[in-house]
Amino acid sequence: MQMQAQPQDKQTAAEMAIEVRDLHIHYGDVPAVGPVSFSVPKGQQLTLLGPSGCGKSTTLRAVAGLEKPVAGVINIGNRKMYSSEENVNVPAEDRGLSMVFQSYAIWPHMTVYDNVAFGLKVRRKSRKEIDEGVKRALALVQMEAFASRPASQLSGGQQQRVALARACAFSPDVLLFDEPLSNLDAKLRSDMRIELRELQHNLGVTSIYVTHDLEEALAMSDCIVVMNKGCIEQSGTPYEIYNYPRTAFVADFVGSSNLISGQVREDLSSEDEIVIETTGGELVYGNPCGRKVGREATLSARTVHLQLHTQRPEGNRNVWPVTITRSVFLGDLSEIHISWSGRTLIIRRSALDQMDEGQQVFLSVDPKRCVLLEDTPIT
Amino acid sequence: MATSKAKSRRSTITGISVVTVIGIFVLYPIFFLLQAALKEGDGTIEGSTGYGFGNFERLPSYSEIIWNTLQVSVVSTVIAIIVGFLIAYILTRTNVPYRRGLQQLMAVPYYVTPLLGALAWGLLGEEHSGYINILWRALGGEGAIINITSPMGIAWVMALFEGSVAFVMISAVMQSIDPSLEEASQVIGASRFNTMMRVTLPLVMPGVLGALVYVFAEMLGSFSAALVLGTPNRFYVLTTAIFLMITQYPPRIPLAAAMGVVLFAVMFLMTYLYRRMIAGRSYVTVSGKAFRPRPVDVGALRWVYLGLVCAYIFMAVVLPLLTLLYASLQQLATAVPSWTNFTLHHYEVALSQNAVRFAIRNSLELGVITATLGVALTGTISWLLHRTKLPGRGALEYMSMFPQAVPRLVFAFGIMWAWLVIPVPVYGTIWLLLIAYLTVFLPLGVRTISGVLLQLDKTLDECGQVCGANWFQRLRTINIPLLRPGIMAAWMLLFIGSVRELGASILLVGPKSQVLTPAIVDAWTYSSSEVTAAMALIQTAVVGTVIAIFMMLMRRSELKG
Repeated sequence: MQMQAQPQDKQTAAEMAIEVRDLHIHYGDVPAVGPVSFSVPKGQQLTLLGPSGCGKSTTLRAVAGLEKPVAGVINIGNRKMYSSEENVNVPAEDRGLSMVFQSYAIWPHMTVYDNVAFGLKVRRKSRKEIDEGVKRALALVQMEAFASRPASQLSGGQQQRVALARACAFSPDVLLFDEPLSNLDAKLRSDMRIELRELQHNLGVTSIYVTHDLEEALAMSDCIVVMNKGCIEQSGTPYEIYNYPRTAFVADFVGSSNLISGQVREDLSSEDEIVIETTGGELVYGNPCGRKVGREATLSARTVHLQLHTQRPEGNRNVWPVTITRSVFLGDLSEIHISWSGRTLIIRRSALDQMDEGQQVFLSVDPKRCVLLEDTPIT
Repeated sequence: MATSKAKSRRSTITGISVVTVIGIFVLYPIFFLLQAALKEGDGTIEGSTGYGFGNFERLPSYSEIIWNTLQVSVVSTVIAIIVGFLIAYILTRTNVPYRRGLQQLMAVPYYVTPLLGALAWGLLGEEHSGYINILWRALGGEGAIINITSPMGIAWVMALFEGSVAFVMISAVMQSIDPSLEEASQVIGASRFNTMMRVTLPLVMPGVLGALVYVFAEMLGSFSAALVLGTPNRFYVLTTAIFLMITQYPPRIPLAAAMGVVLFAVMFLMTYLYRRMIAGRSYVTVSGKAFRPRPVDVGALRWVYLGLVCAYIFMAVVLPLLTLLYASLQQLATAVPSWTNFTLHHYEVALSQNAVRFAIRNSLELGVITATLGVALTGTISWLLHRTKLPGRGALEYMSMFPQAVPRLVFAFGIMWAWLVIPVPVYGTIWLLLIAYLTVFLPLGVRTISGVLLQLDKTLDECGQVCGANWFQRLRTINIPLLRPGIMAAWMLLFIGSVRELGASILLVGPKSQVLTPAIVDAWTYSSSEVTAAMALIQTAVVGTVIAIFMMLMRRSELKG
């Protein structure tokens, strides 16, 4: 991390382990990804989050060197791995990073030991180093007992662990994860999520993680990049992404939201408060988050941030009497549909008091929780 | 470090050079075939008077041969498809006993080959001296119960052996049908018969039609049964007529070439149709979910079905081999055995002839070299086709499948001319045979290795790459070990194929490059049927031994590794 490729990167390149700038990737002649830019500080984990087909895996594969972009720059550490202008494209085997594949890609013709030893063997390490490296990596994932087992005789969870051990065995600086947990069942997935996070911390390795699972992304990342249709919608910490979505897509994809659109009442709005009037004539107070305010605006309110009360709560702002149209019990939460200002709002709540269909209740929402979106209204 | 531009230029050059090499191997002989067919004149090279369509205009006067070809091909195709369909249905959709074992056995007729079948059935079913007819008369019958040298007899022998090909193709389709599609129909209230007619048959139909077209193309180009059984009676189909015109004196090369072009055109059309059919059908039958084939309980009928399948295997495998064995052990083969008549004399004769020993050695050498080079070549092609973004991949795939559409005899004719004019001394040597084998077996090798390659998850290779292994390390430690079943299968198929090859070999052998299969045909024509039977069995035994050794070596290396 001592040297910089270019002077203008002086500040970032010194601490960034991975930098992707203006990356464009085509499938044949069809543009698939781009422009995409992000950077990962050393030792941190960045997650590419998005629906299937959004280009997140393709972007990851380009960082690994398995996909050739058409334009842009990829730097890892202080090495230029890809640059369209300078005609540099380092082949994957020379990039010195490591990757865990969605399919695990465990070689079925080798034992667990041989699978894990592979990266060390191709680096021509001594027998002793290989042995130590494999033992350490297998211990990391608690698979020491399986070393001599043929890889074809492992369960899904075991294969996952071996894939992880193999990826860590040769102590790479950068680890890439391509939806590594998506083939596991729900219970195992949530256990592995925590293990992976701890592992990443303990090893101090820089990593990029690809997933379509929101909880996974929130739980594991230092930074999340939300992608849609090959482009970045928003990037930020999990807290920012969840609480201050920038676009309707992010608001909806990152946890469910109610989107409320209306005319901006400039007479009532101020620097740190925005007021809109819906077509039904309701006034909604919201949080502009310092974003630019136009003539029309859309607010996003998470389904868990809407409150229902049987008694009228204190205050006048953002409080409405409403009727419950449907109530669905989901276990941890109940999903309640209410009719409000000529449309349906969805509320998720964990409160013990049961609310029945047809019941008259009061709806309230903290104006701080009604976040102004940047893109044009969709409802 | 390689820059991306240099790399992409290198891959372009690789692509172009591979396409060019394969193009020369495949298309250059076809060019000579066309040229010969368009040559006007008295038929000799010296007497050529330019180019024109004269040879094609003379073809209608050979309408009898064309009619023969159509007759034999249509009848044998229909029989083969019916046999293949019935057995495929029995072995994939009913609870007939020993299904697994029978499915394996169904591949054996393909290895017995039509040539062996024709020789054996020639001994069994000849009008006057065939064993079956002799027995028939001994039992008090009149005349002949079967006549294997008639057009219908030839068609029967061809159908018997192509039936196993039809079986493999149709059973693959039947196995790929999701049983829940049929169950859905039954649950809605359709009877079993209605389900069969409205759901199962429409789903199977494209596959059956595909098999029909494919088998018909094979029949049009088939050679050995018509050569062994038809030629002695002056009954010719297109392939045997072409062979006669090339080898008789004086040869009528341009006319033979014109016939070859017509045959090639029809087969090409059929192969094109076939590929169109299988390309469009996948969406009907393939569902992503794994399912277990659900056999229907057919009750006592299953013993009848078992009898049918066993009868087929008996007629296509057991009976021909027994017949050859019997004939080869008799001093003078007749239907009624007597102990004094048994002898090993014919084996001694066959093995003591220098020509035969020489032919066996040539065949084995050629088989090993063809299989080894062929696997390397077709493996490379499969890799380029499925694992790279090489420019010109489409053309490469098209060309490597091209020899499928050309009758081997016609191809060999083109190869003969093509390499006669080149000042490289391969003509009349086994190297010309090697070139011919590598070309005609291109589709077989590419199909076999591609089949395995497509099933291999691409990430297995990519993961090795990310772990830091270069191209060669990945080839050695990951790809070759994983592809080994496919490579081994391709090696065996190419070896068996080239040792048994007749259509191309028979034109390309010379006095110094005799190989076994044409030698067997020669023996059938010019010496005794007993010696021929002995030679055919020697060939079978040699191939069997090599396969057994090969399998043993494979198993041992598997245990070790």
